[in-house]
Amino acid sequence: MLNKLLRENPFVILDGGMGTQLQANGLRTGECPELFSITHPEIVRKIHRSYIDAGSMIVYSNTFGANRYKLAECGYSVREVVEASIRVAKSAVENTNCLVALDIGPIGQLMEPTGSLSFDEAYDIYKEVILAGKNADLIVFETMTDLSELKAGILSAKENSDKPVICTMTFEENQRTFTGCSVSAMALTMQGLGVDALGVNCSLGPEQLKDVVSELSHWTTLPIIVKPNAGLPDPATGKYDLLPQDFAVSMVNHIVPTGAVILGGCCGTTPEYIRMLCQALVGVKPVKISTQIPSAVCSSSRTVLINQPRIIGERINPTGKKLFKEALRNNNLDYILSQGIEQVHAGADILDVNVGLPEIDEEKMMVRTIKGLQGVVDVPLQIDSTIPKVLESALRVYSGKPIVNSVNGEEKSLESVLPLVKKYGASVVGLTLDKDGIPKTAEGRFAIAKKIVQRANVLGISNDDIYIDCLTLTASAEQEGVMETLNALERVKNELGVKTVLGVSNISFGLPNRELVTSTFLTMALQKGLDLPIINPNVASMVGAVRAYKLLANIDKNSVEFIQAYNNTSTPKTPSTQNHQNISLDYAIENGLKKEGAEITEKLLETLSPMDIINNYLIPTLDKTGVAFEKGKIFLPQLIQSASVSQACFEVIKKKLISENNNPVSKGKIVLATVKGDVHDIGKNIVKVLLENYGYTVIDLGKDVDYEEVVKATVENNVRLVGLSALMTTTLKSMEETIKLLRKHCDCKVMVGGAVLTPEYAKQIGADFYSKDAKESVDIAKKVLG
Amino acid sequence: MITLEKLDYREALRYMGFQDGKADPNTLSMLEECEKSVLENSVPRYRYGVFDISETENGIVVGNTDLILQGNAIRKHLENCFAVVLMCATISGKIDALIRRTQLEDMSKAIIINSFSSVAVEQLCDKAETEIYSSLGKLYENCYKTWRFSPGYDDLPLSHQKTILDILDTPRKIGVCTNESHTLTPIKSVTAIIGLSHTPVAVSKRGCVCCRLKNTCPYRKAGHHCAE
Repeated sequence: MLNKLLRENPFVILDGGMGTQLQANGLRTGECPELFSITHPEIVRKIHRSYIDAGSMIVYSNTFGANRYKLAECGYSVREVVEASIRVAKSAVENTNCLVALDIGPIGQLMEPTGSLSFDEAYDIYKEVILAGKNADLIVFETMTDLSELKAGILSAKENSDKPVICTMTFEENQRTFTGCSVSAMALTMQGLGVDALGVNCSLGPEQLKDVVSELSHWTTLPIIVKPNAGLPDPATGKYDLLPQDFAVSMVNHIVPTGAVILGGCCGTTPEYIRMLCQALVGVKPVKISTQIPSAVCSSSRTVLINQPRIIGERINPTGKKLFKEALRNNNLDYILSQGIEQVHAGADILDVNVGLPEIDEEKMMVRTIKGLQGVVDVPLQIDSTIPKVLESALRVYSGKPIVNSVNGEEKSLESVLPLVKKYGASVVGLTLDKDGIPKTAEGRFAIAKKIVQRANVLGISNDDIYIDCLTLTASAEQEGVMETLNALERVKNELGVKTVLGVSNISFGLPNRELVTSTFLTMALQKGLDLPIINPNVASMVGAVRAYKLLANIDKNSVEFIQAYNNTSTPKTPSTQNHQNISLDYAIENGLKKEGAEITEKLLETLSPMDIINNYLIPTLDKTGVAFEKGKIFLPQLIQSASVSQACFEVIKKKLISENNNPVSKGKIVLATVKGDVHDIGKNIVKVLLENYGYTVIDLGKDVDYEEVVKATVENNVRLVGLSALMTTTLKSMEETIKLLRKHCDCKVMVGGAVLTPEYAKQIGADFYSKDAKESVDIAKKVLG
Repeated sequence: MITLEKLDYREALRYMGFQDGKADPNTLSMLEECEKSVLENSVPRYRYGVFDISETENGIVVGNTDLILQGNAIRKHLENCFAVVLMCATISGKIDALIRRTQLEDMSKAIIINSFSSVAVEQLCDKAETEIYSSLGKLYENCYKTWRFSPGYDDLPLSHQKTILDILDTPRKIGVCTNESHTLTPIKSVTAIIGLSHTPVAVSKRGCVCCRLKNTCPYRKAGHHCAE
């Protein structure tokens, strides 16, 4: 039906503001507008009618905030409100060709990790609205600012309705939404998910939105929607500055030339604005923009064009890494996230994410890792797993357009992976192997690549989104295979017109001077046309090879990137790099000298046992700084600086133990969590650093943690001490509930802390210990665990 | 639009526990860099509205809205006031991301950044207040203003947060939301109620009496105040 409208009209006209109209008819500030569909249906109908009379071809139902969160205290169910709203809109369009769109706005809470709303909750909330609004002709999401929330909504719509789905987000003049989502990220993600039209609404007037829409037209081939405000509001009165006639003229002059064809108004616009808009559009022809969407992937805030070599960081992967495996087993997300941050600093454009380990729940860990990484880095991610279910769970929660790693030429793989790639609008890595293994020759690998490309094309996956991996074999074992890989890569690139990807580190396995071999091979591959090298970006020569190649191949124009990367010769600002022969470990710890602390520890390990170092060096010094903190001689930043040095020392000890196949030292396990409903977790994280310093293994469950999850982790790990933190008076209740549940299922001690807690209250809610600060939590741990 | 150019070091240090702007060399050496990243990642925004108020048995009714301010503290705060400014300010979710990331990189830096971010949102509120008064116009000229009172102080319920945000349409206009536990998100956001009066208001500042942390507050124990 939407398509019919688009075919038959040069422009499809939407309606204007609903809220302002309702207010003009008696709605009070802050009151729930959607209830008017039940209490005053005749007013809502009248407003719809006046828009239809003015020329609207689609009216938005009065359901913008009709979700279970916003309607919580209004006395009506979502179903009642949505059904009433659709009913009244449907009665308004009777005997016209006008369509009714089920209007859906943001839920009203921020999504994780800044807020506490999870992807699954958002999906469910939207599902309820979509099912209740099934009689609408199409579904529209508008005024969205969080790409992740919008994605939850779109998936919910696609999976629970067969109606067309359109969406608009709200951008500011800097071309970002409040949550930092960019125009290109919105377009790439939404077009990938298969929406029918997309665009922008609210925030600004037509003139100020011109550049946003123009940018959008470079990133999508779908019909573009623009629903601006009636200009800019006066901050004191809230009145908008464009009159209906000016608005209409501005739409024709500024918005139509960008190629937009679905037009309407948002805040401050009335039926008069729509009438004027229709009049102004008489005789105006839509502008056809021919858009070739660039090959790209994105997070919600960063788009990476695949138009030159881009580095995929390979370090988030347990293969051959003992520390990483240990982190996975202990659910130590922070370790994994740190690996991500480190690679981005080193120059990675994209991060590969592989958390597969037979003994863990890979699906759960993958989702946690993807969510966690999205909260701390802005580069796009490559989801790496051999299990389709893991891929799909990650694809759902990924905010942006990711890469799926990988599909191969085997029938089973093609059948299970490619449909996921299509459904979620991702790019995909195609491995040139099949049930018979990796073909020896370039010819064989090319044939598999061709098959993968054909099969992907049939499903509608374009060549720009296919990255073929011709697979690196080890030179020491199959020396003649090296050129086969590179020749296959060249043919795939030139003859199939797709992009290429290659993990290069394998090449040098078993050889001396691996770095030299690997970086040389990388340069050879780049010369053959490699687009996406998968490397360890922390090795300077690897990133260097890519940068130098880009300079020499005239991609890095005027050597800007190269100079920026290497011209900065100033020495880092570490407080001291004096000869640490002369300084002691306790001096390093007390003065926050991390690097020196680690080096001294390494030296000490040559003559002392790990436990000696911990008990005789680290802990006494930490005790000393702890006492100084207690006495008010030093303050939190200093305490934590010391703790960070000590942490670095611990890392050295841990590495040594693991390399000798010894178990890492632990004085016992402690579960830490910021309770359900609370998103303030810096306090809990400080406690964690200190506890780890004293040799305790912390199972950090994060923030906003369900009661059951605390109990589960405590039981599963046989934990004797649980630490709970809460910052708000309102979340102390969650703390109490968590303790109650712990008492039912576990035999453990509970310590609690957080700004609003008092020792009396701690006792009242059944805690064993009140911890006034991080230092005291260590004292408690010593008491309970020794 | 308000921009923040300089953050108060002394105040940031006080949030970390240091007194009189004195701190150890390591902390001092990190201040400039941390201030810079907070300023770079802050996107200051605010919303406000002015509403007449009337006192009823149920509490103080705010204009033609559903907000009825409850409790004794706000009644006292708004004594002799004829109107209130409701305001909400935020330095945006980019700060949340910055704090999250920095905690993984360097916890002591994260503590400093967290303190600077709190300073930043307070400075934003100060600047916003000045802008608000200058735009109020004739009707409110020569008014006396109270200090900023927020839900959660003393006995003013935190549950007012959502109503205030709805009235100011903050989720849509500046991206500030709340959740079931009435936490404001992004984390460095503030809502406030400022009373307007034709007669001088008590000059009392935000003090310990109305503070929920008064029993465990480290400043108070050390004989200091956090509102000077």
